[in-house]
Amino acid sequence: MMPFEIAEPRSLREAIGLLGRDDPSVRPIAGGTALMLMMKAGVFRPTRLVSLRSIEPAFARTTLGAEGELRIGALASLSSLEHSQAVLNGAPVIAKALRTLSNVRVRNVATVGGHLAHADPHMDLPPVLIALGARVSVLGPSCDRLIPVENLFAGYYETVLARDELIAELIVPPQGGRRAAYLKCTTRSADDWPALGVAVALDTDGTAVHEARIVISAATHKPTRPVAAEAILRDGISDAVLRRAGAAAAEEAGVISDTHGSAAYKRQLVRVYVERAVRAALAIPTGKQRRA
Amino acid sequence: MKTTTKETSQVGRSIPRLEAREKVTGRAEYIHNMRLPGMLYGKIFRSTLAHGRIRSIDVSAAAAVAGVHRVITAEDVKTVIPDPYYGPVFHDQPILAMDKVRHVGEPVAVVLASDPHVAEQAAQLIAADYEELPAVFDEVAATGSPVIVHEVLRPAGMFPDFKDLAGRKNTNLHLDFKLRRGDVETAFAAADHVFEHTFHTRQIMHTPLEPIVSLAESTDSSVTLYTASQMPSVVRMEIARLLAWPENRVRVRTAFLGGGFGAKTYIKVEALVTVCSLLTHLPVKISLTMEEQFYTITKHANTLRLKSGVTKDGRITSRLCEVWWNGGAYADIGPRLTQKSGFTAAGPYDIENVHIDSYAVYTNLPPAAGLRGFGIPTLTWAYESHTDLIARALNIDPLEFRRRNLLREGRPQATGTIMKDAAIDAVLERLAERMDWHAPFDRGSGVIRRGRGIAIGFKASISNTTSVAIVNACGDGSCSVYCNTVDMGQGSDTALAQIAAEALNIPAETIKVIHADTDVTPYDMGTLGSRSTFHMGQAVKLAAEDARDKLLALAAELGLPPETTPIAQIFRKKFGMQAGNVVGIGTFNPKSTQPDHATGLAENITPFWMIGGTGAEVEVDTETGHVRVTRLVNIADVGTPINPGIVDSQLSGAAMMQFGCTMSEGMEFDAGQVTNASLADYKIPGIRDMPDQIINEVVEARQDTGPYGAKGVGETGTFGVSPAITNAIHDAVGVRLTRLPVTPEAVYRALRAANNDALEEE
Repeated sequence: MMPFEIAEPRSLREAIGLLGRDDPSVRPIAGGTALMLMMKAGVFRPTRLVSLRSIEPAFARTTLGAEGELRIGALASLSSLEHSQAVLNGAPVIAKALRTLSNVRVRNVATVGGHLAHADPHMDLPPVLIALGARVSVLGPSCDRLIPVENLFAGYYETVLARDELIAELIVPPQGGRRAAYLKCTTRSADDWPALGVAVALDTDGTAVHEARIVISAATHKPTRPVAAEAILRDGISDAVLRRAGAAAAEEAGVISDTHGSAAYKRQLVRVYVERAVRAALAIPTGKQRRA
Repeated sequence: MKTTTKETSQVGRSIPRLEAREKVTGRAEYIHNMRLPGMLYGKIFRSTLAHGRIRSIDVSAAAAVAGVHRVITAEDVKTVIPDPYYGPVFHDQPILAMDKVRHVGEPVAVVLASDPHVAEQAAQLIAADYEELPAVFDEVAATGSPVIVHEVLRPAGMFPDFKDLAGRKNTNLHLDFKLRRGDVETAFAAADHVFEHTFHTRQIMHTPLEPIVSLAESTDSSVTLYTASQMPSVVRMEIARLLAWPENRVRVRTAFLGGGFGAKTYIKVEALVTVCSLLTHLPVKISLTMEEQFYTITKHANTLRLKSGVTKDGRITSRLCEVWWNGGAYADIGPRLTQKSGFTAAGPYDIENVHIDSYAVYTNLPPAAGLRGFGIPTLTWAYESHTDLIARALNIDPLEFRRRNLLREGRPQATGTIMKDAAIDAVLERLAERMDWHAPFDRGSGVIRRGRGIAIGFKASISNTTSVAIVNACGDGSCSVYCNTVDMGQGSDTALAQIAAEALNIPAETIKVIHADTDVTPYDMGTLGSRSTFHMGQAVKLAAEDARDKLLALAAELGLPPETTPIAQIFRKKFGMQAGNVVGIGTFNPKSTQPDHATGLAENITPFWMIGGTGAEVEVDTETGHVRVTRLVNIADVGTPINPGIVDSQLSGAAMMQFGCTMSEGMEFDAGQVTNASLADYKIPGIRDMPDQIINEVVEARQDTGPYGAKGVGETGTFGVSPAITNAIHDAVGVRLTRLPVTPEAVYRALRAANNDALEEE
């Protein structure tokens, strides 16, 4: 690792000013769990890192609104979310997914903003957040914008963010009676990056399905919603429907071969895990039913 | 001699490790942490080609980087060592690549700088120009390939049994061990059934968490090496040989090792740091990264073919074993492994006709050598899979089938050596008991199916090796053990202290074990092959007894009651004050016979046998191929344990390592390049992968020739793990995995194939 400059701005606006639009060797750093590995491997050689550690503490806060809207500051550590009562009340699937996300040392320093901006398709939270319909607020030098997490990822390790834009906050809408589950499947060791992540969020009434969102990650270039499978689920819950939904998801998800397994094998995993994830969501007791 | 504590037996006690406090408080010494004033860091520039002739190496850009002290290539090495080839069996490995590169990752040049980051940066500016040569990677294909990795073989002479290989030319087959007992072909013809199976394993990395590291400082007439080595005496001999210096001008020191497992044997980067230090007159340290270890030393990939003739009532009458060991580009200790483990390839069975061919083969892959078991876990996987398949085909219970064929005490092993102090039957019977083998077993009926399997393996200890130990009693009665056994986590300091303490009749906790420093500590072959408890244990016992006898004689000479006078009082009476030493010395060199070249037979092939049996219960997810090992039972013959607590952790540690080799570990290559050379992609098991339950037990046994009845244990837990698991998978879902590792995808594909519905490739 060669010497580089490290800036420690006191505000998010100041940080944005230090980033610049054109120089790929200038990058923001929050928890550093991903960036440091890239630097050690020589994949990334910075000239300047803009540390976000000293910016306004408000950007690390997590709150649950009266309507059930969850607002999570981008600098909130993953372990703070894991143990947050607001998260447990507003979107318990997030807290649950975090328990098997990497390890406690990583969760203690990694931030939710970094987790999203890194755009590694093997990350656990993006599929969960997409299933929940979450958005991020993004600040830039000229304009600020709200982007659904579903539209944040442009490809493998790529987001739609400009170099001088920073995620400020994550907004998870009220979940009402939705039930959500996330299952991940590893193929090389239990603590490996997932070979497949499947998140589902369901709004059901008996066997009737009002809304179903399924998100496939890790086996694909970026988190992907198999919309045909979602449509099948709206036919109502039955063993046959679950099987058809799994098969449809495997067909449409755009599964790729990599070191975790061949595409053919991972399509089988999608088939199985979509079914299992839907069953896991349906196994959650319906606490707050939106409809009577 | 009187002791300050009441008499208790020092061996057979589970005393906590003597170094435990030092380690958990971060005070234990490791070479990895060592720095010397003025020290340079070396960063290796490595080959990107699997096989090529070196046209030129351009180091000018690297040398021009500010902060770079010097860049070294083979040309510089030759000014210090004119014939810079090393290796324990063949002098085939150059300190830096000369003329050719033979595998991706081979060291080609070294950048030296006082800042390791500068050295790393500069190393990336070196450019080598190669004439690319065709490469060979497969161990079977390499035996008949026109692609030759080494044109001529040059035996090292360290092991006398390889002399006849001198000058052998134009072959990648650098050792072919043969064992011929009876006549297998006639027996096959006469057999009621003949079974044949082929198995494959992949290359594995040792993964010591402290990577390979060496530091050299020198004068014109001496060199001191601080090195994380399992073999300080051998490092000294090899460096002295290369420099053509007497041994006493080379000093080798070690410390605790952060794991070794066979990766830190013979020499690795020791010659390179020595040359760099002699060229610069400064201390030079090279610390490999975890990634570099994948290109430095590995465990063999194998192809194994087994064929057995069996009678209709389940007696194995003949077995043919053909084993190809993919040795990579440099032989290292691979040929010894090919021979020393090769002669057990038919398994712990009483078989009249045995035919073994064990081939050490050069390829253009990173070099391979022993990894916790010296080839035995691989052989056991093959013969215990094969044995299980035969039992199933004959519809005989796998336990009963093994009982019918087991090699029992007093019977000749395949080499002709009569089995002694080898509790094979006791291990098998205890394994059956701990597995509740005859109790009903629920195999499940839904998506999750359950199964169980057993396996048993054996290993001959390394033969014709020597250990020397010194025990020194000080004027105040405190005692130290001087020996070159290296504590790399296996607990040897504690076990050796217990052995010395038993002979001296003082508490083990009061004994200091002096770590290897070849200026001070005497010769030992090395800390490997589970030999230290037995070999060094005996040397320490002899040394302690020698010191004790001298003290008793001294007491008697001084008119003191020998059995009751404290050691300190003996010295005080002798010298009139607290002064003096009594030094005991012990040398242990158990004799054995080398296998006959033509037949592989030998009267006394090994000083002792290690026996390990494992049982596994598994759950298989038939929709995904995931295998969960719910119970792993390891039963071992370790003789009489010196420290039962450490024996237990050695058995489970070994089993966990082999569990990784079974389930997830395996190096993957693309044109000789390792595509998963990092712990992010090469997966050793984590705690959540571990079997739900691991049970270890030793059978009641005694090694008559061992110290207080003990023998080695470091590798025994590895033997049966892989076949126990693949046998259990077969039991659960009816498919046989013949390749390791057993990934979920491999299991799922096998399930689909068995269902005549093979999963498409992509």
